[in-house]
Amino acid sequence: MRAFLSFLLLLVTATLLFASDWKFAEPDYPWSFPRDHWSHREYRTEWWYFTGHLVTTSEPTRRFGYQFTLFRIGLLTERPPFDSNWATDSLIMGHAAVTDTDQEEHRFSELLYRAVPLLGEFRGFPDPLVAWVRGPVGSADRWTLRWNGRSFDFTMADDTKGFALDLRTEPTKPLVLQGPNGLSRKGSELGAASLYYSFTRLATEGTLHLDGETLEVRGESWMDKEFSSSQLTESQVGWDWFSLQLTDGRELMLYVLRRKDGVSDFRHATLVSREGEARYLAPEEWSVRALDSWESEDTGAGYPSHWSIEVSGEVRGEALVLDVKPVVPNQENRSVFPGGVYYWEGGVTILGPAGEDLGQGYVELTGYGEDNKPPF
Amino acid sequence: MIRYFLRDLFAQFRSGRSLFLLSLLGVALGVASVLSIQIINLNALGTFQGSVRAISGEADLSIVGRTPSLSEEIYPEVLSTEGVTVAWPLFRLEVALAEEENVLLDVLGFDLFAPLKLPWKSPPAELSAALGESGWIAVSPGFAGERGWEVGDRFEVFSGSRRVELRVGSLVDFKKAAPLASRKLAVMDIAQAQSLFGNVGAIHQIDLTVEEEPERVAAVLQERLGPSVRVLTSAQRENQATNLLSAFRLNLTALSLISLLVGAFLVFSSTQASLVRRRVGFGLLRSLGATRGQLFGLILAETGFLALLGVALGIPLGYVAAVSYVDQVSATLTNVYLLEEIESLVIPAWLFSLATLVGLSGAFLGAIFPAMDVSRKDTRALLAAFTLNERIGAAAHPLFFGGLMLLAGAGAIYGLSGEGWRPGGFVLALGLVLSIPLVAPLLVQQGARHIRGRGFGFAFGLRGLGQQLQTTPFAIAAVAVAVCMMVGVTVMVGSFRQTLEIMVDSTVRADIYIASKSWTRGRTEATLDPQLVLDLASHPGVRATDRLRQLFVYPLGYLDDHRISLAGVDMGLELSEARFSLLEGESQQAFREVREEGAVIISEPLSRKFGLVTGDRLALHTLGGEVEFPISAVYYDFSTEGGSAFMDLSTMEEHFGPGEVSNLALYLDPGIDTERAVDELMTRFSDRPLEIRSNRLLREEVFSIFDQTFAVTQLLQAMSLLIAVCGITLTLLVMARERVSELALYRALGAERRQIFRTYLGKGMGMAAYGLGLGGAGGVILAFILIFIINRTYFGWTIALHWPWASLAIEAAVILIASAVASIYPAWRAGRTPATELRREDI
Repeated sequence: MRAFLSFLLLLVTATLLFASDWKFAEPDYPWSFPRDHWSHREYRTEWWYFTGHLVTTSEPTRRFGYQFTLFRIGLLTERPPFDSNWATDSLIMGHAAVTDTDQEEHRFSELLYRAVPLLGEFRGFPDPLVAWVRGPVGSADRWTLRWNGRSFDFTMADDTKGFALDLRTEPTKPLVLQGPNGLSRKGSELGAASLYYSFTRLATEGTLHLDGETLEVRGESWMDKEFSSSQLTESQVGWDWFSLQLTDGRELMLYVLRRKDGVSDFRHATLVSREGEARYLAPEEWSVRALDSWESEDTGAGYPSHWSIEVSGEVRGEALVLDVKPVVPNQENRSVFPGGVYYWEGGVTILGPAGEDLGQGYVELTGYGEDNKPPF
Repeated sequence: MIRYFLRDLFAQFRSGRSLFLLSLLGVALGVASVLSIQIINLNALGTFQGSVRAISGEADLSIVGRTPSLSEEIYPEVLSTEGVTVAWPLFRLEVALAEEENVLLDVLGFDLFAPLKLPWKSPPAELSAALGESGWIAVSPGFAGERGWEVGDRFEVFSGSRRVELRVGSLVDFKKAAPLASRKLAVMDIAQAQSLFGNVGAIHQIDLTVEEEPERVAAVLQERLGPSVRVLTSAQRENQATNLLSAFRLNLTALSLISLLVGAFLVFSSTQASLVRRRVGFGLLRSLGATRGQLFGLILAETGFLALLGVALGIPLGYVAAVSYVDQVSATLTNVYLLEEIESLVIPAWLFSLATLVGLSGAFLGAIFPAMDVSRKDTRALLAAFTLNERIGAAAHPLFFGGLMLLAGAGAIYGLSGEGWRPGGFVLALGLVLSIPLVAPLLVQQGARHIRGRGFGFAFGLRGLGQQLQTTPFAIAAVAVAVCMMVGVTVMVGSFRQTLEIMVDSTVRADIYIASKSWTRGRTEATLDPQLVLDLASHPGVRATDRLRQLFVYPLGYLDDHRISLAGVDMGLELSEARFSLLEGESQQAFREVREEGAVIISEPLSRKFGLVTGDRLALHTLGGEVEFPISAVYYDFSTEGGSAFMDLSTMEEHFGPGEVSNLALYLDPGIDTERAVDELMTRFSDRPLEIRSNRLLREEVFSIFDQTFAVTQLLQAMSLLIAVCGITLTLLVMARERVSELALYRALGAERRQIFRTYLGKGMGMAAYGLGLGGAGGVILAFILIFIINRTYFGWTIALHWPWASLAIEAAVILIASAVASIYPAWRAGRTPATELRREDI
C-alpha cells in the first residue's frame, strides 16, 4: 500500500512542478518589515534558514555547529474549499542538524507534514508564532519559529536522534537584502530568482540538548529568508552556497549555481561591511576554487571540501584571501523521505594566508551525486 | 523391462480401453475434486487477506476504532509515540456506482503527502488537481478500461443517499505495488474523501511502521490511546481476517476432506481395477522369467504413469470446477461476510504439488497391496482364479469393531472436550464419516445373507455382493459416504430454510423496506439524509415508519478482535416487538427495558459466543467511555455469524452521538397495494440512490441469498456422488473381469446373457442400496451433529429439525437411477462373456 501511495505522491509532486499560477520574484517587490518575516503563500517555496556556531557557556572550548530550517512548500495558491481539516495549500518541511566539532559527529533531523491545524501551520502576521509543526514521527515535541520583535527564536527536538535546540537570537547588525531590492537572481531565465534577505549576524543563546544532556550555549548565527516560485533553471542541478562571518566584522555571502556537467553558469556574492552595508560583487571581483573533495560513504556523492575564496578590491580595502575548511568532513544531511534528497550543510573555519583565524561560516552544497537535484 | 513397460502401456490401452479410461477418469476426478476445493478455500481467504495486505501490507501496526470510525485527533498522538517511524491515516468507505447495479468501489482517502518510500519512478501525469479539484480520484486501469473511462472522465457514485461526482484523475495500476489489490480500489486525497462523503474529523484507520519491537510499541500505543481503539499487529490483522472467515473456511475444509476421502477412494479402486484385470498377464511374465522385484517395479511404474496422466487431466478439470464455483463462493463472501468478491483465482505452485501428491499417493496406495500381493504369488496362483475375497470377508468383524471404536473414540473426544473446544463437533462428524467404510463389509456380508432370491438374476447378483468383499465394500463405502454427506447436509439445509421461513414470516412485517444502493457493503457510512427520511415517511399512504441505524463495534472484555453489528431502532413503535423472535427473555418487559432503561437485546450467536444471557451486561466503548448495557433478551438471528445487538435509537444517539439512519421500513395504510406503492416511491425518488423493496421482494431476496450460500455445498455433494457412482461402474467392471471364469461357467451351464446382465445390474443397484441404507443412517446422525453441535458452536444458530422428505426421496431416486445407469455398461460387458473363457482348472 505504501508503495502505490508513494507512487501517487511522486506523481503529484512531479506535477506540482508544472503549476504555473504562482507569483514570480520581481525586482520591484514592495518589502515591508516586519510583515515580510511571515509567510508568502502566493510564492511556491519559502524558507527560514538558520545556521551558526555555538559554544557551551560553562566550557567555551566545546563547540557545535547547527542548522535549523523550516520550508514552506506551496501546493496550491489557495486552500481548496473542502470541508475537511486536511484541506491544505502547502506542506511544512523541517531540517535541523547539529555538528559536535570535538566528537566529529553530525546529526540530522527532518520532518514533512501537510500544513493543517492538526500537524503544523504557517501563521499570519502579526501572530508572533510564525510557524509551528509537530516534531519528527516518534518524537513528542513541536518545532516552532517565533518573531521576538527584533529577530527569531526557535525550538526543535528529535527524540529519535537525541538532540534538541531551543535558541533565542538578537540581531547585532541590520537586515541585508541579497541582491538589488532583495531580488536574488539564479540564472538568466525570467523568473529564475528569489526574494532574499539575511540577518548576517545574530547573537544567539539558549540550550542544546544532546543525548539527555542539557547544555547552555551561546554563539553567532546567520539567518536567510527566501521565497520564490522558481529558482533553478532547467539545466541547473544545484549550488554551492557560502555564508561567512569574518572576524573583522564583515560578512560574505556567495553562491555558485552549477549545471549537470559541473560547469558554473551563474553566481552571486554580497559583501556586507562592518556597518551593515551590502555591496553586490561583480563576477570578476571574486572567485571560489575547490582545493579538495570528500566522498560520502552513505550516498557515494563526492563534494568539494576545502576552498580558496578570493575577493579583489584592494582600492576599497576589501581584498580577501580566504582558506575555508569544514570543521568536520562529514556534515552530510541525508533525508530518508521519498526522493532521498541529500546535501552537505556544515560549519567551516576561515583562515588567512598565514593561517590566521579570519572567521567562521556555513557552507551548503546541493545537487551532488546521481539524480539529486533539489526540489526547489 | 522398460521396453516391455512402454509396449505394454499401449497394449493395455488397446485391449481394455474403457477400463483404462475409467481408471484415468477416476484419478482425474479425485485430483480435480481436491484441487478445486483447495483453490476456492485458498482464494476465499486470499481475497480477504489480499485486501488487508493491499491497504496495510507494509504497516507493522494498524490502529482501528472500536466504533466505526476514529477521531483524526488521535493521529498526532500516534505520530509522537516513541518507536513509530511513519504513520499514515486512512479514510475508507465503499460507494456504489450510479450507472451500474451492484458495482461497488472501495474508496481509500489517503494523505497523499505522508512521507513514504518511493518504490519506482514514473513520468509525471496530470495530477495537480489531486488536492484541489473536487472529485479527483485515481482508479485502476482495469476498472476504468471495463467502463471505457479515460483520464478526465466523470462518473457518479452513491454513498448512502449522497450522490457524489468524481473525476478520473489518474489511472494507477495498484497491482504493481500490491499484487493482491482489488481492481475496485480507488484512491483520493483524504481531504476530498472526508469532504465529499461527509465525515469531517473522522478517519477509519491509522497504519504505521515502527523502528523495532512492534508488540512493545503496540502496547505503548494502546496505553496512550485508551480503550476506544484497537492496535493490531500485522499478525493480528491477518488473524482477524482468518477468524472472520473461520467458520466458512472450516465448512469448505470439511467438504474438501470428504472430497479427498472420496477422491482417494476412486483413485484407489481405479488402480486396483486396472491391476486385477491384468493378473493373468503378470502370471505369464513371471512364467517367462520376470523376477518378483521386476513385476513389483513394473506395476508401480504403470501406476505412476496412470496417476500422472490422471493428475495432468485432473488439474485443468479442478481448475474448471473451481472457476465454476467461484461466483457462488464470491456471492457468499459478499452477502454474508461483507467482504470483497473474488476477482480472479490465484493458484500457488504448491497447490499443484498437492494435487500431484494426492493423485500419486492415492494411486500408489491403491496399487501397493495388490502389487505386493501379485509379486509375492507364485506363477500358478497368478494364472489361477482370483481368490483374495475371503481375506476381507474374514476381516469384516475386526473392521466393524474398529469402526465402532473409531466412532466411540470421536464421541469420547467430543464428550471430554466439551463445548469449550469448537472443533469437537467436526471430530465427531469425521469419526462418523470415517467409520462408514469400516463397518461396511460386515453389514454388507450380513445383509446379503438375508436376501432370498429365486433363480439366477437380480437377487442373485445382490446376494453375491456379500461374498465379493474384496472390491464391493469400497464402492459401497464411497456411495455411503457421499449419501451420508448428502443426507446430513440436505436435512441441515432443509431445517435451516424452514426455520428461516418461520422467522421471516414472524419478523418481516413491514410493507416496504428501503436502504441506499451502497448499503450492502457500506453499512455504517451508507446513510439516508434526514430530509429524505422525512419525505419517505410522509409519503401518502404510509402509516408508520421504522428506522434503523447500524454501527459496527468491538465489545470490550471479550475476544478482542470480534466485531458485532449494533443497530438502533424505534423501539417505541407499535410493531417493533414483532421484528424480533425472542429465544430468551419476557417480551413485554424486555422491550420496555430497551425503550426506557437503555437496555439492549442481543442475537443468539452473540449470546453463545460471549456466553451472555438475559440479565448480563454488554460492555461497549462509547463516546463517553465504557458503558455496560443491560441485556434484556436474546433473539433468534441468522443474518450474521458474528453476532448483533439492538438498542433504542435514542440510546444509540445518547452514547454514540447523533447519526443518520441507514434503513427504513414503511407500514402502509390498510388496503393500499404494496407493489403500487413501491412503484410510486421509485418514481418519486428516482433521482435518489435507493433500493426500495416490497415485503415480497425482500423475502425472495432473503431466500435467494440463502440458496446461493449453500449452492457450493450442493455442487460438492453432486461431485462426491458422481465420484461414488463412477466407483460402482469401476467395481462392477473389476468384478466382471475377476469373475470371468465364473461367468463363463454360468454361460456354459446355460445362463443367458440377459440373466447375467440382470445379475450385474442387481449388483450395481445393490451397492447403491447398501450405500443408501448405510449412508442414510449415517446422514441422519450427521444431520444431528451439524444442526445441534456444529451450527451452534460455530455460528451460534438454533435450527429447528425439519425433515425435507421430498428432497431426500428425490436424492435417493437419483442415486438409484444413477447407479443403474452406471451398472449398464459393466453388466453388458459381463453378459458378453463367452463360455469359452472357462478354463480347465476352473471346473
